[in-house]
Amino acid sequence: MRLAYWMYEGTAHHGVGRIANSMRNVHAVFHAPQGDDYVNAIFAMLDRTPNFPAMTTSVVSGTDLARGTIRLPETLKQVEERVHPDLIVVVASCSTILLQENLEIAAQHAGLQCEVMVYDANPYRMQEIVAAESLFTDLVKRFAKPQPRTERPTVNILGPASLGFHARHDLISLRRMLKTLGIEVNVVAPWGATIADLRRLPAAWLTIAPYRELGLRAATYLEEQFGVPALLDAPIGVQPTLRWIERLRELLAQAGANIPMPPLTAFSLDGMSAPSAVPWMARTADMDSFSGKPAFVFGDATHVVGITRFLRDELGMPIAGAGTYVKHQANWVREQLAGYVDDLLVTDEFQTVAARIAELRPELVCGTQMERHTSRRYDLNCMVISPPTHIENHLLAYRPFLGFDGADVIADEVYTTCTLGMEKHLIDLFGDAGLDLPEKVKAPSTPEPAPAAIAIESPKPADEPVVAVAATPAAPAPVAPPAASPAPATPVDPVWAADAEAMLKKVPFFVRGRVRGNVEKYARQRGHAVITAQVLLAAKEELGA
Amino acid sequence: MHKASTIREDGLYHSFCGLVSVGWLYQKIKDSFFLILGTHTCAHLLQNTLGVMIFARPRFAVSLLEEADLSSSQPDISAQIEEIKREHHPSVIFLLSSCTPEVMKVEFEGLAASVSTPEVPVLFVPASGLDYTFSQSEDSVLQALIPFCPPAPPEDKRVVFLGSVNDAIADDFSLEAARLGIPVAGFLPASHFHELPPIGPGTVVAPLQPYLHKTATQLRNERGCTVLSSLFPFGPDGTRRFWEDLAAQFGMKVDLSDREAAAWERIKRHTDLLRGKKIFFASDTLMELPLARFLKACGAEVVECSTPYINRRFHAAELAALDGVRLVEQANFHRQLRTIAETKPDLIISNIITTNPLVGQGVVAKWGTEYCFLPIHGWAGVNALVTSFTRALERHAKLDPLGSDPIWLTGMMPSSPGVISLQS
Repeated sequence: MRLAYWMYEGTAHHGVGRIANSMRNVHAVFHAPQGDDYVNAIFAMLDRTPNFPAMTTSVVSGTDLARGTIRLPETLKQVEERVHPDLIVVVASCSTILLQENLEIAAQHAGLQCEVMVYDANPYRMQEIVAAESLFTDLVKRFAKPQPRTERPTVNILGPASLGFHARHDLISLRRMLKTLGIEVNVVAPWGATIADLRRLPAAWLTIAPYRELGLRAATYLEEQFGVPALLDAPIGVQPTLRWIERLRELLAQAGANIPMPPLTAFSLDGMSAPSAVPWMARTADMDSFSGKPAFVFGDATHVVGITRFLRDELGMPIAGAGTYVKHQANWVREQLAGYVDDLLVTDEFQTVAARIAELRPELVCGTQMERHTSRRYDLNCMVISPPTHIENHLLAYRPFLGFDGADVIADEVYTTCTLGMEKHLIDLFGDAGLDLPEKVKAPSTPEPAPAAIAIESPKPADEPVVAVAATPAAPAPVAPPAASPAPATPVDPVWAADAEAMLKKVPFFVRGRVRGNVEKYARQRGHAVITAQVLLAAKEELGA
Repeated sequence: MHKASTIREDGLYHSFCGLVSVGWLYQKIKDSFFLILGTHTCAHLLQNTLGVMIFARPRFAVSLLEEADLSSSQPDISAQIEEIKREHHPSVIFLLSSCTPEVMKVEFEGLAASVSTPEVPVLFVPASGLDYTFSQSEDSVLQALIPFCPPAPPEDKRVVFLGSVNDAIADDFSLEAARLGIPVAGFLPASHFHELPPIGPGTVVAPLQPYLHKTATQLRNERGCTVLSSLFPFGPDGTRRFWEDLAAQFGMKVDLSDREAAAWERIKRHTDLLRGKKIFFASDTLMELPLARFLKACGAEVVECSTPYINRRFHAAELAALDGVRLVEQANFHRQLRTIAETKPDLIISNIITTNPLVGQGVVAKWGTEYCFLPIHGWAGVNALVTSFTRALERHAKLDPLGSDPIWLTGMMPSSPGVISLQS
């Protein structure tokens, strides 16, 4: 047992819900206590679903357990009557799985017209990613049927799913590139697919499955079982996108289709420019300062690999470290990042990641919503590159991560998140560059958010709403409470002498926290218990800031 | 007292479990820590329902049961308790049950006792989703606090307000009581563990929230106190009755009719808007009865008031005031959708799970969930209460009708890419 605050992955039943809510006429039924229904709220809120998410909780109460009643058959009947699905996927919860009931028999008692699949997802052995990937693979295996290829070359796109990270945007980006190449799409799944669409999967000439987390196994199965070649790379960044297009054309050529390469400008939004501005932007003098901005990258497998390589290969940034919470993909990530990262961090405990970030104090953190917490606490720049996300990451505008369009989006995000070059020179030269404000008064102890009731109505920006409802655009983006003091990365924390503290005050407020952290790190490394003006000067000299 | 007729259905509606009340209780009791003995599911639930994504240092966490822990019927949580004390220094730790340890038949009283010390008590709070909905576990938390309320002698005749409200509302109630000459012993819960009010046979317990009947009953039985039976203090009508009935407990006859009339007058613009509007309650906070009663007093037509549970004794005055309204306990969601399609309400109060999808069906719906932490109590809360209902109505009326065309929903949801409607 351990103490858990935040989880990177959702539960197995959430993974099942993501597949059901991605597909048309598929419904998930959770044989679970009422509270397990919370996963519905994630879809309704983050995806802003204009219809009811395709999942229903067949409530199990304490009274049901005492009486030995099981409401599953009745729930199944009600679901069939209201939504007329082609398929219902039944799954137990972490508590009901311990009851060892035979859900197959209970489901048969409902006597439904539609297909019912009891999916064995043991929530103690699998979480969101494996549950979703395994269910989707099972569905493909169950429904895909041998059939002739489409007349013209077509491709499947596997992996985009409800609540997937920028999934809708990535899908648009992929479709745009395919359209430019003149390649038609056979089936997109699970996003928007029906059971009938799954049957048609083997008719494609090629399967594109860019995500390590979802679609990979189904694509591999289609290759092994039906000979449909699979393109499993993620086109994150300009060079990977060029290589991806090349590989796509090669695989289709091997399948007998000659896809001519149009001029690169054809891939741009206006059809007459470079498809991405990243190669030129990276070469501007403005970007030289980025060679001194180390980045730490943490998240799922696909995005950690893609972003780490992009930062180093295309923006020339140093990599301070990287890690992933997707443990079963850790070897793949390590292999992909050989030469980029020496000691890949593999953990699903957010405290461990926070400690690594505190120790490294990178200029840029690319992470999940949890790393955004951590970065706020240590006053570091952070951008979200992987789930889990906050509603602030579910934006309306076209913001893909894949393809040429994605490269521009990522580069913009990096640029606006980091402290900029010319600005930094001015700060170094003049101290505050005219931007300083009186130092904010810090709370004496760990500040706690105001009671919820106040938070909702009060105009004070520091008040934080309590329930997810409040974390919507209706409420202003909350400002994280200032951390009283960073948690010590080592047992001994150096104290600041008055002369050093006075010098620190001359550092501009918006980099002061980082300077403070860097100097403390330096002092710890050198074993200084007290940071005097002399230590501060030595640190500045050593750190070059 | 009038016996309102209620319909009881099968309870297949969307909701959360008792763990969610941690979201406001940990903020109310400022030196507390809430530890849930549970699974990954509990942690994911808290993370996604409590807006947690924005708290860097929460005072709640899950002692995570993993596969290897399932075989032991009495898990050892002492290491986690020590970690919590070291990191957070709480005055009290609440140990909340959840579904999995309930199924495992963990003996929680003994587990809490085994890690409890006089310096930092660890109190068991039943909150499992097998038995408790959403707001009900506040009742369990307050029950756990009862032994720490000092006894009061019989001659100590003062009021204790029951239910977690924020400090501003608590100040309002203290000031209003002083104005009427009602002596106040305090609030349960107080903002800090060591500030709990004395309770004895002379105490009048005045419930501020409608989901606390277990605590009220236990206080009546164990301490011999009086529990005020009145309307809950929401809206001009409820607030007037609440204070008049409370004053009567102290032998005072108070007439607040002018005060009530003035309060109605101040919100006339809003009640004019609500008059004749059809309102449907499909929420799950247990606040539904007093809210529906207030809307009825505003002149709205409450076409249905669904609520998880009704307690005939604790809710007696509200039930009497709701005479003629269709009341449903343990509603069935599919049936509610059919009724909504038939009755075409102007406003639906629903769980946050169903609100956006209901709006997507072309009706105006608002979150019911936020009533658990909106400052809607007493005279000062009247405006917040009434505008909570009219805001959505007024805003939707202002929006360009062009945007209501179903075309704008196309492709917004992969499982429902086309145009949808409630009737389909």
